[in-house]
Amino acid sequence: MSNHLFELSQINKRVVSNVSFTMKEKERLVIFGPSGAGKSTLLHLFNRMEDPDAGVIYYKDKELNTYSIPTLRKEVGLVLQEPHLFPGTVEDNLKFGPSLFDEWSPNQGEKLLGYVNLSKEYLNKDVTELSGGQRQRVSLARTLANNPEVLLLDEPTSSLDEQNIELIEHDLQRLVEEEHVSLVLVTHSMQQAKRLGTTGIYMEEGKIKEHGQMEKLLSDPETEELKQFLQSNSI
Amino acid sequence: MERDIPTYSLFLLIVFVMIPFTIAYYYQLGLKKDIIWSTVRGTAQLFLIGIILTYLFELEPIVGIPLMLSVMITVATFHARKKGKELPHVFISILLGLITIELIVLAMWLGFGMISFTPEEVIPMSGMVIGNSMVAMGLVLERMKSEFEQSRGKILAALSLGATPSQASHITVRKTLNAALIPNIDQLKTIGLVQLPGMMTGLILGGVSPIVAIKYQLVISISIFSTVSLSAIIISLIMYRYFYNNQMQLLTLEEIKKSS
Repeated sequence: MSNHLFELSQINKRVVSNVSFTMKEKERLVIFGPSGAGKSTLLHLFNRMEDPDAGVIYYKDKELNTYSIPTLRKEVGLVLQEPHLFPGTVEDNLKFGPSLFDEWSPNQGEKLLGYVNLSKEYLNKDVTELSGGQRQRVSLARTLANNPEVLLLDEPTSSLDEQNIELIEHDLQRLVEEEHVSLVLVTHSMQQAKRLGTTGIYMEEGKIKEHGQMEKLLSDPETEELKQFLQSNSI
Repeated sequence: MERDIPTYSLFLLIVFVMIPFTIAYYYQLGLKKDIIWSTVRGTAQLFLIGIILTYLFELEPIVGIPLMLSVMITVATFHARKKGKELPHVFISILLGLITIELIVLAMWLGFGMISFTPEEVIPMSGMVIGNSMVAMGLVLERMKSEFEQSRGKILAALSLGATPSQASHITVRKTLNAALIPNIDQLKTIGLVQLPGMMTGLILGGVSPIVAIKYQLVISISIFSTVSLSAIIISLIMYRYFYNNQMQLLTLEEIKKSS
């Protein structure tokens, strides 16, 4: 058995065209590039929020569409760009996922908020009382409540200020180290890609332009496109 | 004794029509044609239905009632369908919904001895139930489309956490039902206080004692209340499914249109 977590083979979906790559277990993969490159589209294929028009995706060496969809989405959790919290309290949001699988235990709430650096007093807060940064952290904790093996993050900090970005990134770093979840992060921020990724994929116009170790991509880019992107993002 | 309105005074209704017409003319509302047309059309429709009803009332109930009910349900279906044209199978869903509701309510009325199986009683009562259910279904369809649009992010979040379409639509369906049922509940709350309900007014004008009129009104009001709730629930539970594909993925209205 290979240690491939995901294998994408000749994927086409909207702008994404003929994309193939593999991702190993415990990898922290960052997909970056300019907007409109197809990064989010690609990310949504990992837990079947969308399906490719052509091509095959393997997850743990089995075709993705052989898994039960709710179980797959529980195991491969997605954090959306906007938090989109459900009406009610923070706890209502945290228990939404586990309750679907009869796995919620009330003492989980405090631990989950701990992951995202919020005190247990927040459990009973109504979501309308939260700031933007807190909403995004609750959204992250809500996905973590399902105990995912893979975490998909779709520009999770795009609407946040510097201070909140730092807090969320810190939470994420701690998570991958302590809980050993694999990470696929979509971002247009080079700084974030550098801080969170071990490997990177640079995309432009639906195609993978470069794929490799993050350090190498940043210090020694091979393609003109990536060189230009790095220059314009002043790395 | 049967009371009647003399024909000449009916013609004087034109004075009532002149009021909105004058307002529309004075403020240039662009509604003059609509006012004239709707008055003429409404009058013609009512006289036509009067002639049809006179004819139907003379038929055997077993022929006349199903005939008129079929016409009413078909017209109501065509009308309610307009609000959800983009959705697949909307016509058949409304049609079956209305038939089910009519059968249930008819069985209860007849079974509990509330009315007798005569066109004079079944048709006007059914008309009110079907008409109100039609409005409720239209409201649900319209509201559902906008709720699915507005709550798109929350539904995607629920799906991504492992929810099935039915679980992910829970909040949306609840909000849709709420919106469709609130006017109905409010209406029942103020019944008789703000305005005397149409049926009761008609019966009193026709010479029936107010207490008997109220009994009929109660039967029809409660029947409308329950059938409207039922029709809203039926159509919600059938239609929310079409906002998803078989892979538990949320569709946009454009995608739904394309797929149907």
